[in-house]
Amino acid sequence: MTPALSDILRGNFLSLAIPAPVESQGDFMTGKVAVIALLSLLAAQEAERGSQSRVWENAAIAALLRDAAATYGPDLLAVADTAAEDLSIPALDAANATLRRGLIALHEAVEAAGDLPRHRSIIALYGQMAQARRLDLPPLPAG
Amino acid sequence: MSLQQGLETYLTELWGAPTTVANLARIPGGASRETYRFDALVDGRSRGLILRRDPPGGLLETDRRLEFLAFKTVHGHVPVPEAIALEEGDSALERPFFLMERVDGGVVPSPFVVLPYGDHAQALGEQFFATLGRLAALNHEGTPFREAAPEPALDDCWRVALDHWSDVIEADELHPQPIVRAAIRHLRRNPPPPAQRISIVHGDYRTGNFMHDGQGAILAILDWEMAHLGDPLEDLGWACDPLWNHFDDTRVGGMIAPDQALATWEAASGLTVDPAALAWWSLFNAVKGQAIWTSAAKAYRDGGFTDPVLAISGWYTARRHDLILADRLAALEAF
Repeated sequence: MTPALSDILRGNFLSLAIPAPVESQGDFMTGKVAVIALLSLLAAQEAERGSQSRVWENAAIAALLRDAAATYGPDLLAVADTAAEDLSIPALDAANATLRRGLIALHEAVEAAGDLPRHRSIIALYGQMAQARRLDLPPLPAG
Repeated sequence: MSLQQGLETYLTELWGAPTTVANLARIPGGASRETYRFDALVDGRSRGLILRRDPPGGLLETDRRLEFLAFKTVHGHVPVPEAIALEEGDSALERPFFLMERVDGGVVPSPFVVLPYGDHAQALGEQFFATLGRLAALNHEGTPFREAAPEPALDDCWRVALDHWSDVIEADELHPQPIVRAAIRHLRRNPPPPAQRISIVHGDYRTGNFMHDGQGAILAILDWEMAHLGDPLEDLGWACDPLWNHFDDTRVGGMIAPDQALATWEAASGLTVDPAALAWWSLFNAVKGQAIWTSAAKAYRDGGFTDPVLAISGWYTARRHDLILADRLAALEAF
């Protein structure tokens, strides 16, 4: 989940703007620029999908917490009501951190209770969360 | 004093003969150590060397002495460059470092390219897993590595490894990670059988960490910075992790079919692969990967966002391992 998109873009600038010592030019700098290029490509994907995936994930976790509250306690409702202050990525991430901590606590309780159906629904959500956040490299040839 | 001057002073003292350094250049790879190639000119001849120096802040807090002793121990058994000298103080080159002979004429493809081995994939895969099997079988009693590496009990390897990497996540996590935490809890509830033997574990044995000659021969196994003693299945699980398959689901490491990899490893090691044990170590390795990427993200932030290798490790590979972890968790029958 970290670094954030802004960290990546700031880092790309710094990586190129700070002069390298003479022994770090040549092959090392060529490799470094290639990694920066890849990061820029992935940053474009994050700019396109990052907010949407966070909005979706926050809603999905909140729904799962609300559904579990009747069995695992009303405290989950308060966590599920966590809302981002705005649609910026930092605000969405702040809400996401609270929701994820609630999800972790719920999953621990579900495991302790031996509640296999709810365990499986949480595992299924993990798969959806990972898919929603995926970054895709293009097929880069060797050499 | 420049790095070149520091090296010249150090080597002149080490070898007791005036030494000059030429062609000093940092090379890519190795986020935990700065790696440089250079030629040392001494007694009328040129020696190709590699310098591995601690960075100001790296991907992992790894033990350079263990890495150096691993090179010394496995040299002659596994293709590695010969270790030359270890300096644990910071007076010579500002930070601790070690030196080793350079292996020339090889290539080390990135793990994130497609079809990196061409027609030589099968041959390299057989060598890769046979070499790992020989490492698993290596008698390490009385070797230099044993001077510094603690030896876990056969039935404790899993716990030592899991404690270490879950502690890393606990210490370095900047955002809650429910997927890897679920995997850690599963691993604790369902420990694997005891190790068949205690072996030297490379710790990062994978495609991208070996050099080949472009004609089907492995020249050197690199990056021993996470070497330790433990269950040899740890390396096998890491080598077979989908993250390293070059986007080819049919071949481990983009080289060889999974059943061939395991059979090659068994033949070379004299050990057998218990499927349940390997499944545990495979899930563990996805946890270990996520721990490494978690540390990378923290190091990227702490280092002022200036190392793009740390960025891609803490970001892209972290998300790949979340996908792998979620798939493995979904495939489990029970808690």
